[in-house]
Amino acid sequence: MRTSNQNDSDPDQDVVFEVRDLEVTFGTNRGESRVVRNVDFDIYRNETLGMVGESGSGKSMTSSALMNAVVSPGETSGEVTYYPPDGGEPISVLDLDEEELRKFRWGEVAMVFQGAMSSFNPVKKVRGHFRETLEDHNRDVEAGLERAHQILGDLYLDPDRVLDSYPYELSGGMKQRALVALALILEPEVLVMDEPTAALDLLMQRSIVSLLKELKEEYDLTIIFITHDLPLLTKLADRLVVMYAFDIVEIGSTEEILYDAAHPYTRSLLNATPDLNAPIEEMQSISGAKPDPVTNIPGCSYRPRCPMADESCAEAEPPMADRGSGHRTACFYHDDVADEIPIPAMEAAEEGGESE
Amino acid sequence: MTPKYLLKRLGQAILTFLVTMTVSFLLYQAMPGGPTEAMRSVILSQSGGSVDIDRLNRMIQLYTNVNPDQPMHVQYFNYASDVILRQDLGTSFFKNEKVTTLIMQRIPWSMFISVYALALGYSLSIFLGVMTAYREKSRFDSTVSSLIIGLNSIPYYIVGVVLIYFLAIQNNYFPTGGRIGSGIAAGYNPEFMLSLVKHAALPAISMGALATSGALAMRGNAIRVLGEDYIRVAQLRGLRETRIATQYLGHNSILPMYTQFMIGIAGVFSSAVIVEEVFAYPGMGLLMFEAVKTQDYPLLMGTLIVFTAISLTAIFIADLTYTLIDPRISVGEE
Repeated sequence: MRTSNQNDSDPDQDVVFEVRDLEVTFGTNRGESRVVRNVDFDIYRNETLGMVGESGSGKSMTSSALMNAVVSPGETSGEVTYYPPDGGEPISVLDLDEEELRKFRWGEVAMVFQGAMSSFNPVKKVRGHFRETLEDHNRDVEAGLERAHQILGDLYLDPDRVLDSYPYELSGGMKQRALVALALILEPEVLVMDEPTAALDLLMQRSIVSLLKELKEEYDLTIIFITHDLPLLTKLADRLVVMYAFDIVEIGSTEEILYDAAHPYTRSLLNATPDLNAPIEEMQSISGAKPDPVTNIPGCSYRPRCPMADESCAEAEPPMADRGSGHRTACFYHDDVADEIPIPAMEAAEEGGESE
Repeated sequence: MTPKYLLKRLGQAILTFLVTMTVSFLLYQAMPGGPTEAMRSVILSQSGGSVDIDRLNRMIQLYTNVNPDQPMHVQYFNYASDVILRQDLGTSFFKNEKVTTLIMQRIPWSMFISVYALALGYSLSIFLGVMTAYREKSRFDSTVSSLIIGLNSIPYYIVGVVLIYFLAIQNNYFPTGGRIGSGIAAGYNPEFMLSLVKHAALPAISMGALATSGALAMRGNAIRVLGEDYIRVAQLRGLRETRIATQYLGHNSILPMYTQFMIGIAGVFSSAVIVEEVFAYPGMGLLMFEAVKTQDYPLLMGTLIVFTAISLTAIFIADLTYTLIDPRISVGEE
């Protein structure tokens, strides 16, 4: 069903990560729990890739797999290939041995995740965290600490005060920014941000997001941003990946996904997004319950909740259909979705022109 | 750390010390056949009944620091001022020597096996606790955990007796008692050192068995810490495993146990009384044991007071150093 041609990388794009047939499974008492299923996608160099989907749809697991960091006893299989900058030898991340993996982590791919509040060792000063990271990756510690000063300054923190503090002496926003600085200390190519703003207030969220844009330019980063906050992503991401039931259902540029979403789930998700400008009646929740990772839904996994589902959806899993310019979606009826599931807010926005 | 806090803690320690001293003084005095009575009968039996009362009382005062003719509160006051101002704990009836001299001779030996035992017990506790947590629910974990529960259910003196039987009597690996082989000259030579260590090994192991009770608590802490975000982030940061195991997992798991470890020092010291008797190891504990057997009250009081002082000092040090291992504990701030 998935032919190799279909998944070949776009030749025009400089790919940094190539993910093929990625599977993450956990053995449970009830049977095998497949929390990532046959995921294929590419990440382009210097883009910001947004990943959305409901809780437990496999976003975090997919991003952990990029560093082969799925927590035990999870099993990761498939192919994750990393292409270093300047045409170095491609690295197959899942085949690295322990020591190679240790060097790869944070050196090439760094991760900032939801628990920033508790991401620091409580009995170690922030400076110690920078120092040990540099030491364990055999970098020049003095030069590295100077860099740390600069990055912390770029993040509008007082470098000396932050470095000399214990984590408990910093506020949530400061800790979050210090963690971002720590993530950049080894000059990684890729920065994975797994709901980095979930525990912060709205103002702090927005300021971190605007900082990220600046950092991305300054440090030539590829950013993978995972969140439930769709409006936030639309301001930040170049491309969006929509995950449902442990697999990607739609992928494409942010504009394509926002204005021409071709998967019923994406459209329902857009309809379910709270918007202050839209009347409350227009907000629609998605009916039904989210799928269980242990049970295997034959055919299309969204079928039980999809208003457009018919017999053919039960018979076969819909392949990724190409809608041009890198926009792909896993729905048999991707051409009819726009008519079947309208998005009132978008239509209103289009009628109202550019004014927000 | 403020001076005010320091003074407060010091004051508490001193108060505890005074209370312990007072209570033990009163209890000993109240005992039928208390110190002065015991002393009186010892002297009378030795002299065949031909001693005049004044001279008897003077002798008693000399030995016990207590004049039996004076009212109780004056006796107490005299005793306490001797202990505190002159560090004079009286004179042993039986050995006819200053109690302080006797204790000073014995303390280094007790310290030696106790430190040996504590180092052994605590490092084993920490190591096994962390290892079992790393391999939670594995065969290794269940074996070690059951062994530790078993070891802690067996009284340490039984462990001692079993060790003597198997390692000293059945197999001649260790001596059955004493603190140094006969005919070995003291000094910094390997023969002497080896003999010292061999004699201390079995008592230290049986006392150390007492200190391994920390392993289960350590295991629980380490399992909790393993679930913390900072451990995962440390792994994602590509830090070395040894650094994560010691500076992240080890350090954070020890925090809740630190005070317990310090209080454990007192427990190990008090276990010395029985262990030293079992191994005929002439330390403070054996001194106290002999004092009980011979109704040597000044010596008994003296050893008790020294044990109390050691425990209080350990707890005091634990209090003051807590902030060094956990910066979040700010000592003395309201």
